Amino acid sequence: MRMIPTNDSAGDPMIARDATYHRAPDELRERVRMSLAAAHHADRAPRLARTFGLAAAFATVALVSWNVALMTAQPSADDLRAREIVTAHVRSLMGAGHLNDVASSDRHTVKPWFAGKLDFAPPVQDAAAAGFELTGGRLDYVDGRAVAALTYRSRQHVVNLFVWPVAGARDAEPVALSRQGYALLHWVRGGMEYWAVTDMASAQLAPLAEALKGSAP
Amino acid sequence: MTRLARFEKSVLPHLDAAYNLARWLTRNDHDAQDVVQDAFLRAFRLFEGMRGSDARPWLLAIVRNAGYSWLEKNRPGDVVALDDAAPLSSDIETVGHAAPAETNPEVILLQSANRKLVNQALEELPVGYREVLVMREIEDLSYKEIAAIAGVPIGTVMSRLARGRELLRRVIEVRMRKAS
Repeated sequence: MRMIPTNDSAGDPMIARDATYHRAPDELRERVRMSLAAAHHADRAPRLARTFGLAAAFATVALVSWNVALMTAQPSADDLRAREIVTAHVRSLMGAGHLNDVASSDRHTVKPWFAGKLDFAPPVQDAAAAGFELTGGRLDYVDGRAVAALTYRSRQHVVNLFVWPVAGARDAEPVALSRQGYALLHWVRGGMEYWAVTDMASAQLAPLAEALKGSAP
Repeated sequence: MTRLARFEKSVLPHLDAAYNLARWLTRNDHDAQDVVQDAFLRAFRLFEGMRGSDARPWLLAIVRNAGYSWLEKNRPGDVVALDDAAPLSSDIETVGHAAPAETNPEVILLQSANRKLVNQALEELPVGYREVLVMREIEDLSYKEIAAIAGVPIGTVMSRLARGRELLRRVIEVRMRKAS
């Protein structure tokens, strides 16, 4: 029989050496991030209701119901835009060379590429810390105009981020939509309209919007 | 920086520590994941109230609470109150008699045997001893931090560590005798 190490006041080398340190599986890391992002966004909605009070909340409900009634009758501007975005996303994935006109993970390579091709300078940001690797960019055509399409990769999923300027637009927090099984996230910031689209779950897009907000363009 | 960004920067890096504690409390991968997710949501809600710069003990206290809530709901038999004053012989009766999962002598001789033996013996200890051993020996927390996390005086932490080590040794001896 083997001798069992004796105890000492500094600790028990047997446990420290032989007991397993259970490391968190990747799927858990992903799950936690997703639920945090969802909780973060859920927290913002009630704050809005509190600010405007109950009466405003009722008015909002009435307005939303009215909008829903209208929406069922005809597609909203966002709905049309979402379809356009999904179409552009799908087209970008059809065959080699459709995705990027400039393929680079360096934003200092991607951003200058757009110079002279668009009548605005799209903010090109790195989001690697949030798990979205910049893979390049291209020109695309959305909303009746030429826009910048930036591409990111998150694990095996391709994300297209469409950016174009909107005159006089006020900043808007990200709104998640889903069309034909694709997840979309739409927000307005600094006079630019952003549409992100991917085939991942929509909650997984939230960190991208957060990351792009956090860093300066 | 948003609250989410600050939380991800200061608390999320301790995910491994959270999972390790939850895994040792629940003794099961799947249940540990549920506990950790629940704990992180609680932590996110309580984040503004976090004091001090070290998020690890703060988070682990929340994980421990979530783990105990889970055990009370799903395996109430696991949550036994410890009598820190009673002689240790009363505790060994509850742990020494569980049937060892692995009694093949050849397996014990393999190099991985030590690891397996220690892991199994540690899982067999009452959760009150198990948690202090895990926090001290595997997670390397100070007595003071463990006392704060478990909500007991430092003296109790020290006596539970001593008793836990002693119990562990006895369980291992019993298992080795059965195997040889």
